Amino acid sequence: MSKHHLGEFEEIVLLTVAILHDEAYGIAIIDEMENRLERKVSIGALQTVLRRLEKKGYLTSKFGEATQVRGGKRKRYFFITAFGKKVLAEVKEQRLALWNAIPRIVFNN
Amino acid sequence: MNPVKIDPPKLPLRFFRWYCHPEYLEDIEGDLLERFERRLEERGIRAARWRFLKDVLLLFRPGIIRPAEGYHNLNNFGMFKNYLKVGFRNILKYKTFSSINIFGLAVAMSVCMLIILMLADQKSYDRFHKKEDRIYRILMKPVNNNRPYATGPFPLSATLKSDYQMVEEATCLLRGFGGDALYGQKFAEMRGYFIDTSFFKIFDFELEKGDPTSAMDHPNSMIVTHNIAKQLFGNEDPTGKVVSFADRGIDFWTDEARSPVDWGNYTITGVLADNDQKSHLEFDVLVSSSSLPLLYNEKKLEDLSGNWTNHWRSYTYVLLRAGTNEATLTSALNLIAADKFADHENLKGSNIIAQPLRKITPGPALGNAPTIRLPGFVYYILSVLALVIMLSACLNYTNLSIARAVTRSKEIGIRKVNGAKKKNLIFQFLSESAITALLALILANVLLIFLKMAFLDLWINKYLKFDLHTQLYVYLIFVVFALLIGFVAGILPALRLSEYTPVIAMKSPEKGLAGRLGIRKVMSAAQFAISLVFIITSIVIFNQFRYFMQFEYGFNAQHVVNINLQSNDYELVKNELSSIPGVHEISGCAYVPATGRNDNTRLGKPGMETTVEAIDLRIGENFIDLLDINLIAGRNLPSAAGDTNSFVLVNEHTVRALGYDYPGEIVGELLTERGDRTLEVIGVFENFNFFLPFSSRRTGPMVFRNEPVKFKFALVKIEPGNAEIIADLKEKWKSIDPVHPLDYEFYSDRLANNNQGIFDVVSIIGLVAFLAITIACLGLLGMAIYTTERRTKEIGIRKVLGASDLRLTILLSKEFLIVLAVSVSIAAPLSYFLNNFWLEFLVFRADIGLGTIIAGSMLLLILGLLSIGPQTFRVSNRNPVDSLRME
Repeated sequence: MSKHHLGEFEEIVLLTVAILHDEAYGIAIIDEMENRLERKVSIGALQTVLRRLEKKGYLTSKFGEATQVRGGKRKRYFFITAFGKKVLAEVKEQRLALWNAIPRIVFNN
Repeated sequence: MNPVKIDPPKLPLRFFRWYCHPEYLEDIEGDLLERFERRLEERGIRAARWRFLKDVLLLFRPGIIRPAEGYHNLNNFGMFKNYLKVGFRNILKYKTFSSINIFGLAVAMSVCMLIILMLADQKSYDRFHKKEDRIYRILMKPVNNNRPYATGPFPLSATLKSDYQMVEEATCLLRGFGGDALYGQKFAEMRGYFIDTSFFKIFDFELEKGDPTSAMDHPNSMIVTHNIAKQLFGNEDPTGKVVSFADRGIDFWTDEARSPVDWGNYTITGVLADNDQKSHLEFDVLVSSSSLPLLYNEKKLEDLSGNWTNHWRSYTYVLLRAGTNEATLTSALNLIAADKFADHENLKGSNIIAQPLRKITPGPALGNAPTIRLPGFVYYILSVLALVIMLSACLNYTNLSIARAVTRSKEIGIRKVNGAKKKNLIFQFLSESAITALLALILANVLLIFLKMAFLDLWINKYLKFDLHTQLYVYLIFVVFALLIGFVAGILPALRLSEYTPVIAMKSPEKGLAGRLGIRKVMSAAQFAISLVFIITSIVIFNQFRYFMQFEYGFNAQHVVNINLQSNDYELVKNELSSIPGVHEISGCAYVPATGRNDNTRLGKPGMETTVEAIDLRIGENFIDLLDINLIAGRNLPSAAGDTNSFVLVNEHTVRALGYDYPGEIVGELLTERGDRTLEVIGVFENFNFFLPFSSRRTGPMVFRNEPVKFKFALVKIEPGNAEIIADLKEKWKSIDPVHPLDYEFYSDRLANNNQGIFDVVSIIGLVAFLAITIACLGLLGMAIYTTERRTKEIGIRKVLGASDLRLTILLSKEFLIVLAVSVSIAAPLSYFLNNFWLEFLVFRADIGLGTIIAGSMLLLILGLLSIGPQTFRVSNRNPVDSLRME
C-alpha cells in the first residue's frame, strides 16, 4: 500500500478536475460528475473534498475573473499539480496490477 | 437575463456567510448562486429555494466552517497576554497610584454592591408563583387621596370573575382575622386573612400538609404556618385537629386588642411549608371565606358583600387569561370604577388600578400595604447616592490615568511604530482599567461584609427584614458591574492616550501630552463640591435629629411605662399592678399620645354652624397628673364609675378655636360633638404637642374624656432608679394574663424611637459624605504626588536661587487651593438652599445657621490640606542637591 492514500470520491474528483483541465470550478465539476457517473453530488461534499485535496497538495487553485452572473462572485479554478498527477498515476498502476492479478477463470464463466 | 431578479432566500445565505471560512466564502457563495439561478430556470422558484437551503445545510461541515478561535486573529491571544502582563506591571510599578485607584473604586463599588444586594433581595419576592406574569393586584385610588390603597372594595373580585371573560381567576383576601387559637391547653396568637377557593389557583404557596385545591372548600377551615402548627400541636399531625378561636381584633399594624370574641371552632386543613418562599403577603393563618356568613349571622363581623364604599378591608388579586394584556384589564377596571362610584359623593372619580405582581416589591408606597417595605423611590435615591460616589471614584481613575500619560508615552509610541492601531491601544488601556476594577472588586467584597453589618444594624431594618445573602447570580452581576466600571473609568484615558502621534509621543512627551490641567481641575472641584454638599447636609440632618431628641412635648414621659392591655380588663390590671411597691400611679388611655396615632372628632358650640376638628382621646382621671400636664382652669375629670358621663377636658387651642378669650370662660360651657352629643367642659389643660416632631402638622384642639372601656393601654409611673420593677411587673402580669407575655415599653424610649428613622438617614448621608470626601481626597493626593514629583527639578533650581521652603510649599499648593476654594464657593450656597428647601416642610426645625456651613467648609478645607500638605511640604524641603542630581 502506498503512503498516498486516496479515497474513492477523492479519486473521482481528482480525475474530473483533470478531465476539465482549465475549466474546473465547483459547479462545472459537479455537472461533469453528474453527467458521466449519473451520481448526485452536493456542493458541500465536493467543496470539502476539494479543500482537502488542496491541503494535501494534489490540487492548486486560483480565482478567475468576476462576471455578471453568480452575483458577481469570482470562480475558483482548480488545477491538478504534478504531485497530484503522480498520485493518480500511482493509483492507476495499483488498480491495473490488481486487475492483472485476477485469475482468468473468474471472468470466464 | 431575467427581467426580474429573484434573490436566493436571505436567511440561509446569511447563515452561510456567518459560518463559512472567510477564504472559501466568495467562490462557494458564487457556486451556490450559480446553482440557484440555474434551478430557478429549470424547476421554478420553490424548488430552487428548497435546494438552496439544502445545499447550505450540507455545506455546514468541519472542512468549511470557520475555525472557532478566529482565522486571521491567531496573534491576538499573545497580544492579549501582553496587555495583561503590561497592565499588571504598571499596577505594581506605580503602587501609590494603583492603591489610590483600587481603594477608591473598591469603596464606591461596595456601596453599589450593597444596593445591588438589596435590589436582588427585593426582586426575589413572589417569584415562586408559576403564573406570576399574569397575576395582578387591584389597587384603589380614592379621589381624595394622593396615593392609592393596596386594599379595594370587597365585591370587586366577585364582579371581575363573573362579568369579565379575560379574568381567569380572582380572589379576595379579607383582613380582620386576628386573635388567639386554643387547642387543649395551648395558645397561639395569629393574624391572617379570610381567603376563597381561588386563592390557591392563583398563588403557589407550598403546603407541607393538606391539599391546596380542597383545603378551603368548607366553612371553618384553617391553614396555619409551620411555626403556629408546631406551637399548638407540637409533633402531632395537625391536619383534622379542631381549634377554638377568639378574635381580638389584632392586625399586622397594631397590637391594640379589643376584648376577645368567640368566633367558633376551626378545623386545620393544611399547614404552610416552612421554606424560603418570599412573598409580599405575610400571614400566620388563612381561613376559608365560607366561614364568613356564620359570623355575619351572629353579628360578629360586618357583611361587606355589595358594599363598594368600604375599601379598606380586602385585597383583590386577579389572574388574567394567557394572552390578555394589562390594558384590557385597565379598561375593564375603569368601567367598573365609573359605574360603581358614580353615585357616591366621596368616591366619585376614584380609580381602580391594576398592579402587576412583579411590581409590588419593590414598588410604590401604598396605603394599607400588607407588609412594610421600602418604597421604590427610596431605591432610586440610594442608587443615585451610590452612583455619585461611584462616578467620583471613576473620575479619580480617569484623572490620574490622564495625568500619568507622560510616563506611558514612550510605550504608546513604540507600540504605534510597531503597528498597533488606535483600536488596539484602546483595548489595551481598557483591559488595564478592567484589571484595576476587578482587583477593586475583590477588595470591595471584603468591605461589603462590614458595610452589610452596619446596614443591617440600622434601626429601620427591624421592620424591613432584608435578606442580603449573596447568591451566585449576584456575584455574576458584580463581575459584570466591575467590568462596566472598568469601562466607564477607562474609556476617557484610553481614547486620549491612543490618539498621540508616535513622533511627538516619543520625542517630546511633555508637549501636548500632559493633558490640559483644566478638565482635571474641573473634575476635582466637582468632586469636592459634591462632598461638601453631603457633609453639610448630614450635619444639618444631625442637628435636626439632636433638636428632635431634645424636643419638648410639653409633658413628662420620664419613668413612665406603657403597657399594652392585650384585651385584659383595665380595672383588673390597675388593681393588680398598683399593689407592686415602686408603682406610683397608673392611668389608662385608648392610645398613647405622640406615637403617630390620632383619632379625631368635631366639636362645635350649640347654635353655631362652624365646627372645629379636635383630637379625641379617652383617658383615666389621673392621666394628666401622671404626665405632669398642668390644669390651668376648672377641675380634673371625675373617676368614671361604670357609666359614661359627658364631662370633658379641652386644651388651650380649643378655647381659642371655639372663640373664647381665656380658659376660665369655657369651663362649664356645653359643646356639641358631631352635632348630636352634648359635652360639658369641666377643665382646661395646657397645650402639649400631640404629633410626631417631624410631622408637618401643628397640634390643634384636643378633647379628653374618661371612658375605661375604650382603654387599650395602661401608663404606669414607676419609682426612678428601681431596676427590679420591670421584673415585678412581668411577674404580676403572669397572674393577670397567663397566655400573653407582658408587652411594655418605656415612654421616653418610645419618644426617642420616633426619631430613630431620622438617625438612619443621618447615618446613610453621613456615610455617603464620608466616602465622597475620602475619594475626593484620595484623588487630590494622587494629583499632588504626581505634580510635585514632576516639578522636583524646578523646585531644586528655585531653592538654589534662594526661594524659602514656605514660599515653595505655597507655590506647590496654590493650584489645589484654588480647586478647594472654587468648590467651597459653589457648594456652600448650594447646600444652604437645598437643605432649606426640605426644612421648609417641617413645623419644628433647627436653623441651618452660618455655623454649620462654615464648619462643613472648614472640615473640607482641612481634609484637603491634609491630603496635599505632607506631599508639597516634603518636596519643598528636599535638599536641592538630591533633586537636581536626580535624573
